[in-house]
Amino acid sequence: MVSRALGAELRQIVGKENVLDSGVDLQLYKYDAYLEERRPDVVAFVHSTEEVAGVVKVCNKFGVPFVPRGGGTNLSGGTIPFKGGVVLEMIRMNRILEVDRANLRARVQPGMFNLEFGNALAPLGYQYLPDPASQKAATLGGNVAENSGGPHCFKYGVTTNHVLGLTVVLPDGEVAKIGGKAPDAPGYDLLGVFVGSEGTLGICTEVIARIVHLPEGVKTMLAIYDSIEEGSETVSAIVAAGMVPATLEMMDQLVIKAVEESIHCGFPLDCATVLIIEVDGLKDDMEQQVKAISDLCRAHGAREVRVAKDDAERAALWAGRRGAFGAVARITPSYLVCDGTVPRTALPKVLRKVAEVGKKYKLQIPNVFHAGDGNLHPLILFDWRDAEQKARVMKAGMEILELCVEMGGTISGEHGVGLEKIDAMRLVHGNAEIRSQLLVKKAFDPRNLANPGKMFPMPEEVRHAA
Amino acid sequence: MQPEVDRLKQRLEEVVGKSHVSDRPAAAAFAVDGVSPALVVHPASQEEVSSVVTVCAEIGAAIIPWGGGTAMGMGNRPARADAAVVLDRLNRIVDFDAANLNVTVEAGMRLADLQVELAKQREFLPLDPPAEGKATVGGILAANGSGPCRLLYGTARDWVLGMRVALPNGERIRCGGKVIKNVSGYDMNKLFIGSLGTLGIITEATFKLLPLPAVRGSIAGVFAEPGQAAGVVAKVLDSVLLPEAMELLGADAVALLGPALGLDATGYGLAVTFAGSRETVERQVRDFTGLFREAKTRATAILSEERTALAWKTLRNVFDLLPGPPLDRITCRIAVLISRTADMLTAAEALGRRHKLRAAVTAHAGSGVIQACYLLGPEAPPVEVLAGALEELRRESEKAEGSLVLQAAPAALKAHLDAWGKPGGAFDVMRRLKAEFDPRGLCNPGRFLGGI
Repeated sequence: MVSRALGAELRQIVGKENVLDSGVDLQLYKYDAYLEERRPDVVAFVHSTEEVAGVVKVCNKFGVPFVPRGGGTNLSGGTIPFKGGVVLEMIRMNRILEVDRANLRARVQPGMFNLEFGNALAPLGYQYLPDPASQKAATLGGNVAENSGGPHCFKYGVTTNHVLGLTVVLPDGEVAKIGGKAPDAPGYDLLGVFVGSEGTLGICTEVIARIVHLPEGVKTMLAIYDSIEEGSETVSAIVAAGMVPATLEMMDQLVIKAVEESIHCGFPLDCATVLIIEVDGLKDDMEQQVKAISDLCRAHGAREVRVAKDDAERAALWAGRRGAFGAVARITPSYLVCDGTVPRTALPKVLRKVAEVGKKYKLQIPNVFHAGDGNLHPLILFDWRDAEQKARVMKAGMEILELCVEMGGTISGEHGVGLEKIDAMRLVHGNAEIRSQLLVKKAFDPRNLANPGKMFPMPEEVRHAA
Repeated sequence: MQPEVDRLKQRLEEVVGKSHVSDRPAAAAFAVDGVSPALVVHPASQEEVSSVVTVCAEIGAAIIPWGGGTAMGMGNRPARADAAVVLDRLNRIVDFDAANLNVTVEAGMRLADLQVELAKQREFLPLDPPAEGKATVGGILAANGSGPCRLLYGTARDWVLGMRVALPNGERIRCGGKVIKNVSGYDMNKLFIGSLGTLGIITEATFKLLPLPAVRGSIAGVFAEPGQAAGVVAKVLDSVLLPEAMELLGADAVALLGPALGLDATGYGLAVTFAGSRETVERQVRDFTGLFREAKTRATAILSEERTALAWKTLRNVFDLLPGPPLDRITCRIAVLISRTADMLTAAEALGRRHKLRAAVTAHAGSGVIQACYLLGPEAPPVEVLAGALEELRRESEKAEGSLVLQAAPAALKAHLDAWGKPGGAFDVMRRLKAEFDPRGLCNPGRFLGGI
């Protein structure tokens, strides 16, 4: 009954054509790229900060939870309305409001796709640096909520380093501007806490992003190895030599095969791993850098090093990397993407151990990883229709995270905690750490209406998730 | 109140030992804006910091965390001060993992000392606030100190991977970790950076590092008008060039820095530094030489690598070149839209001229940060007048979407001018955060934004 009255009030705010509450429609909003599902009670399409604030105020009135949804690409269940309530569909707030070149900032709405934003900036000679592999379908608002990374973050950092201001609708429906175009706003860095808060501290409705000039030169290389160790050792050697490439990406044989079958970008099928290395910056020393890196690759066992000759070749290499998850999806009914992070030098060891976990649970685990920043994405393949297999997958996933933590790493590099890693939070946080984060939650959202049941292992949530 | 102080002293001595607690008059050296703590305590370890905070919380004593003391002029006059907690004994590197480009260090370590150790492995932490020889890692984070090189590298929030903090109830927490991508829970590091010790005491930090550049170089020029220098900056920002820092210098600052930069001319200055390979540094020096010439520079100096290091150290600490005791000056920091940097620099200079104050003004051009220092000589106008003038400058900065924050000023002036200005967006959330973390208001009470 509440949902009918709720639906009626929401229609008043966003218009009746922008509210969905039929069973069929709601089915479409119960999942994201993780494995859990939960139907919302109502979906509201929002078009402005005022509408978002209005919807959130109605949620407060009825005491129902709300979850913003962008592209729905979240890999940890962040977008799933775990406690029901209202899903705010943000995708229509997808305009660039301003490109302020003189101040190196752009104002953009959160429903815009990351790639679309990049494509709009490029003709002006500018770029927005965070570039998650899902950038075609992931929105900037989602990037803010998850503090998304991407292949270029070894050199350039993640979303939090490039978002300088937000307009947010706080969990009580009040609108606030945090950060801004100018730097160093007095007071606590609420912006820094908000980025990566997975929708649990409010909803961002406008993003002030740092834009930077496109680099003068870019060189992309592909190094091909017969052993995965040699690939990871090369990565350490490049860093030890004092170089900071924009990208150091690796994938293993299983992924390479899947990618070749689906995208045909020219990766050799018989190699153990490929390393994609990109350097960018001023042209003057680019040839020297390419040579120095190529030499290091060969010295560490690369059987071949290719340098992309033009944009088309470069695009092919990147299509291979960015298409990896999609390609793997073609060879398996389902997969669980792990997102552990370790100090870079621990990569060879953790990869060996991941292979052991695969053997132990009789699961295939291909690997894609951001080698430069020690972020690995083992993809555990399985069939979701097989409950016993799924249980093994969950155990294997947890064991991989435990390995990462043992080696000085953490449980998520860029996919977030969401529903998936609530239990795993205990691997990296003690009671005091979790309590202190809940203090932040309480200061922003005393009624616990913003995406409740996510991130934190509170007793009741742990029970529900199990 | 004396019995309480005695009890506090006794309890603190139990934690850190008698020789590491002092009371008045020694404590007077730790006064903040004239508010002197009753006690000064020097814990030896992070555990001791936490125990000290616990004791203070139990007794209800207000604490002032203290690093190198270089940013103690920040903020409003403390509402209370019972114990200054000085971190000078927490000065060790906990773990330097050069292969993974990170270092974990106790909060009381001085930045310059840390850089010396990092340089042994050809790495560095790209933060360059002033007073690097005195300022501590923890203090820099609490005050969110930054310097000219933020143009290329950003600020503390971009380099901290992890922290340990003693919360106001004495509980110790770890934030973040050692890996460069980490979304395991809220990014709690951000909450403490720039919080001026009002949410607890930072006891340890883990930083991401960079390899030392192969080469550094710099160029400096003097122009008749600030607009000429600003024009160069605008062109560079709309180009592929990647200088490490571009510092815009007011006329007085040029006079002070002339010898260090090798410039013998009057006017407005632009000093630029580069880091990278020999090829990229030489190319940028060449390009800037051309840009300077086009902008009709009065004088240009190209600095060798050796001179660059010294010149930039002097430049970062330019206010030290002004005569007179540091107590008789006002230092403020204005943060505005990048494109308004030069306007604000001239507005800040004009304030000095109008009130016949000797001043130096510099700006991190390309970052939108202006720093102004005014000397208060015997002829200085009354504090009410100065407060009014600064309030007007603050309004100008607010029109440029920014802020004006006092870095240091006589307490008498602070009585007439809030150090931070009026709180902006989401201040209710900030107040609630403070109330959740420090419900009794014992950590640096009264010094932060909006009376927090």
